[in-house]
Amino acid sequence: MPKVTINDRTVEVETGTNVIEAALKVGVQIPHYCYHPRLSVVGQCRMCLVKVEGMPKLQAGCSTQVMKDGMVVRTDVPEVEEAQKGMMEFFLINHPLDCPICDQAGECGLQDYSFKHGVAYSRFLFEDKRTYPGRERIPLGPNVILNMNRCIQCTRCVRFTQEVSQTAELGFFNRGARAEIGVFPGKPLENHLSTCVVDICPVGALTSTRFRFAERVFYLDKKPSLCTGCENGCNVTIEHRRGDIKRYKPRFNPEVNDYWMCDYGRSTFERYKRMPRLSTVRVRPEATGNGGFTGGWKEALDLLHRRLRSRDGGAVAFLGSGFLTVEEAYLFGKLADTLGSPHRSVPVDLGPTWTIPNTKGGISGTEAAPNRRGAELAGLAAGVSQGGPVLDADELLLGDGASNCSVLIVCDSDFGRAAHDPAVVERLRRAKLLVVFGWCDSPLAKAADIALPVPTHAEKDGTFVNVEWRLQHFGSAYPAPGQVRPLVDVLVDLLARFDGSWAKLSTGAVFDRLAAEHPAFAGLAWKDLPAVGVTLNVPEARAAVDATTASTTQEV
Amino acid sequence: MSVSEPKVTSTGLPPAAKAELDEIRKRYPTDEAALLPALHIAQRLWGGWLPDEALEAVAAELGLPVSKVYGVVTFYDLYHQKPVGRHRIRVCTNLSCQLRGSEEIMEAVREELRVEEDEVTPDGRCSYVHFECLGSCDTAPMMMVDETYHENLTPRRVRDILRGLK
Amino acid sequence: MFEPVLTKNVGNPAALTLKGYKKSGGYEGLAKALQMEPDTIIEEVKKSGLRGRGGAGFSAGLKWSFIPKNITPKYLVCNADESEPGTFKDRLLMEYDPHQLIEGCAICCWAVQANICYIYIRGEYTKAATILERALKEAYEGGILGGSLMGSGFKLDMYIHRGAGAYICGEETGMLESLEGKRGQPRVKPPFPAVVGAFGKPTVINNVETLCNVPHIITRGADWYKSIGTDERNTGPKLYAISGHVERPGTYEYPIGITFREMLENAGGMYRGGTLKAFIPGGASAPILPASQIDIKMDFDTVAKAGSMLGSAAVIVMDETTCMVRSVARLAKFFNHESCGQCTPCREGTNWMELLLKRIEHGEGTESDGRLLLSICGQIGGNSLCALGDAAIGPVKSLVERFYPEVEQHVRERRCPFPQRRHFQNGA
Repeated sequence: MPKVTINDRTVEVETGTNVIEAALKVGVQIPHYCYHPRLSVVGQCRMCLVKVEGMPKLQAGCSTQVMKDGMVVRTDVPEVEEAQKGMMEFFLINHPLDCPICDQAGECGLQDYSFKHGVAYSRFLFEDKRTYPGRERIPLGPNVILNMNRCIQCTRCVRFTQEVSQTAELGFFNRGARAEIGVFPGKPLENHLSTCVVDICPVGALTSTRFRFAERVFYLDKKPSLCTGCENGCNVTIEHRRGDIKRYKPRFNPEVNDYWMCDYGRSTFERYKRMPRLSTVRVRPEATGNGGFTGGWKEALDLLHRRLRSRDGGAVAFLGSGFLTVEEAYLFGKLADTLGSPHRSVPVDLGPTWTIPNTKGGISGTEAAPNRRGAELAGLAAGVSQGGPVLDADELLLGDGASNCSVLIVCDSDFGRAAHDPAVVERLRRAKLLVVFGWCDSPLAKAADIALPVPTHAEKDGTFVNVEWRLQHFGSAYPAPGQVRPLVDVLVDLLARFDGSWAKLSTGAVFDRLAAEHPAFAGLAWKDLPAVGVTLNVPEARAAVDATTASTTQEV
Repeated sequence: MSVSEPKVTSTGLPPAAKAELDEIRKRYPTDEAALLPALHIAQRLWGGWLPDEALEAVAAELGLPVSKVYGVVTFYDLYHQKPVGRHRIRVCTNLSCQLRGSEEIMEAVREELRVEEDEVTPDGRCSYVHFECLGSCDTAPMMMVDETYHENLTPRRVRDILRGLK
Repeated sequence: MFEPVLTKNVGNPAALTLKGYKKSGGYEGLAKALQMEPDTIIEEVKKSGLRGRGGAGFSAGLKWSFIPKNITPKYLVCNADESEPGTFKDRLLMEYDPHQLIEGCAICCWAVQANICYIYIRGEYTKAATILERALKEAYEGGILGGSLMGSGFKLDMYIHRGAGAYICGEETGMLESLEGKRGQPRVKPPFPAVVGAFGKPTVINNVETLCNVPHIITRGADWYKSIGTDERNTGPKLYAISGHVERPGTYEYPIGITFREMLENAGGMYRGGTLKAFIPGGASAPILPASQIDIKMDFDTVAKAGSMLGSAAVIVMDETTCMVRSVARLAKFFNHESCGQCTPCREGTNWMELLLKRIEHGEGTESDGRLLLSICGQIGGNSLCALGDAAIGPVKSLVERFYPEVEQHVRERRCPFPQRRHFQNGA
């Protein structure tokens, strides 16, 4: 591999690495607008000009590749700084001074680079700024709005629709100073990845219809998380203000969603606002056996513990959810083990298939929940019945299974569409005691004897296993409201009433117990989980990995 | 106002044009390469300009995204996106012609046609634009009427030429 | 007495036909070339010192030698997108001697083993395209082109590709993009077209005049060719297109390196007896030279030394009635109009320069505008993606550096000091 020296620091890079990427390896940031690692290199913004020893002119860092040993690059010399200053001036002479009303302000490439590389005065004094009358707020499609006045013609968005989404709705029109981006009349920007163009737009030209004017970005708290829209497990950043989520943005993970995510995924947090919240412990008077219920968590769990122990001769069934974390599912599984119940299942809805491009041929998810695989692996897969049918999701949701239950535990009040279907609620209600955990005060939660408020995924930490058997960790973005208690805490509390060794285990400790016991998780430790996640050692995961290796070998 | 009516529908190019285009496509290793010739053909068919439906027809014919076709059309000066006159007049105004009186030629054209640049005369006969160098500087000032170069112009010759256009 | 080489068939209408062209010695060069090894041809062209006639002046033989042998197919793209203001020499070559170009292309194709040649001709040149089309048809029918190049068994197809009105398509990679059916936006280099060119394959791109030289080099030899011109680096016959304030504007063929003074005299001297003020030696991109340079030798290196460039050898002559600010503003308008718009310095810089120059021309300039213009030129120069940015600053820089008093006068008097010239009285 060739070595390159950038500002006196030498680094070895793969042949063909461009100077921008090579510089990053030694901690040198080269400013750029049009370059994006996943888009074709066009060298047109000219912001990344660098001095390459032996070249008469400055070279574009994006299109200059390190091909052999000995390339010497400087970015800290006056001619480079002059060029950057000059480029900034060119970008700004025709750019509106509308930061106060621009949604991009605070995360704007022009603001950042003018501060770093520009000058504080203008020499464009007597000429009129170029404007695009009538093109200040053009919806390019349902999710993206264009303000052409702010565009710097980097064409990232155009190349995105041509090369990544491969839908080519966007084009580069006209020539010279009148060059602009847009769609052909009647052919809107309507692919399932369309909002990605907002992410990659370095300025305020493209803004998201959903996020527009929702919040100034400098007021947002940003926390890494995972999307729950489907089983792909796209890495996202939850951006919220005091627990009010304003948007999801894709977070780079080359193994999963690369730089992208779908428009549907971006909309999923709205469910947390749209649906009523279950925020208090609620026990129906009839369920206590002795009149009204006045207690809180402790009393509710005591009651549940009592009813689980007595059981009244009926079955105890667990209706799981693809929204549970691996750790939560493991604890529910442990509870079922303790009670000797084989009646477990993880129902998930099937949605449309969402495909996210990445460098490995893309990732596709159809199940409308993030963790069916993890939940089943960790302990909620149906067990073997000692006689009589296993009361799985079909028996419970479509049949009369609940009638045989003395206790039916629904692990998530919003596990799927069925939780909102009156007919299903009526069927589940046939259990002698219906216990529902969840963040959502769904019709099912409302029908429960015991309804227990637990966090949304944004309020908890844990792991999900995605469609490719990749285990990924996420943390809580903000604290949960009201009486809501982390589900892991609740479950170890409940389990401790049967077996004291569970008391006060943290999520990490729960995970480590699981890892010690389950071959699929063998060798994993909570504190060492890799940032990009890790593929689990399960037959299915192995098979998938083997298949890719095989096809790569064939290509070679 | 009689602007040229579209001659075919957006369902595609008529068979004769298709055949002409198919012959041209054989010259290139990609279909996309036939785009410029295809647009020249389409512009001829649609009476000198390219309405949206013409772009859609060409895009469909060559299997290209219409946004790309639109990008190409707006890039080149010889493709028009709005109706033009039956006769299209391009007056060279670049430096060599400017040095030899092209402004007076522009004036003469304007006076004769009595419309502004890029407008179509009410009878649909003519439209005119100023143009960059047409490569006829030795016979400046000059203008191009449709495909013909008219050279060594004087305002009087301009009038004669324009009046001779049907 | 210099005998025309490239233009010898101008005024000989018979040469438009295959028969007539052959009668005048046509296709002898090709016949001879086909008896030679391709590499020998490249060596001969290299030896001749032929430099590209499109503007950059790069050695044609060297360019051909960059074509890798082991990649197929290869292409020749003939640059007939002559759009540099002031330039009209290639049109003459195509309209009066189309077979000479076809022959030159054919020899080049054989030399680099390219089986397809596209002649990219600007869309406005319909007459030249028709004439070339007719000549190509004859060349196919006459057994020259097609399955077997002049019976040699070498397959060669040659096609006309019409542009659609964009100066930037004269830039070689802009031309390739346009040929591929795209917007004519120049590509990042490297890779160079010799390796990754048209349709991703090795491609030679040569100007019309360059290729027209080739048959003569092959027929008469590199030594003969080198005997014409000023020195080893400036060889051969050259077409000069002279226009503007001269009595007999036109295309003239001279041994490269004739002085501007001789050229001007041969063109009948100054228009209507005016006095020389300035001239552009090589098309709109070439910095303007003042009258004091009248004795300059018009070859690549001498003009470069004088702070300009021979470019396409399009000479635009300006007399004392010419407002330099106005002239340069017109050129700035041209470059702004023709900038493809992809790269920042060219897109924004050419636009700004046009606005600024117009303001100065209208008498609204300020004292710092000259400095500002130079500063903008500095920000564009060397920083744009292709050569258009550098081309656009040529005339502007020379205006400020060589004709500054005129800029100052505009600012001081708050108007253009030159009265609008009327060329025609009573419409004639």
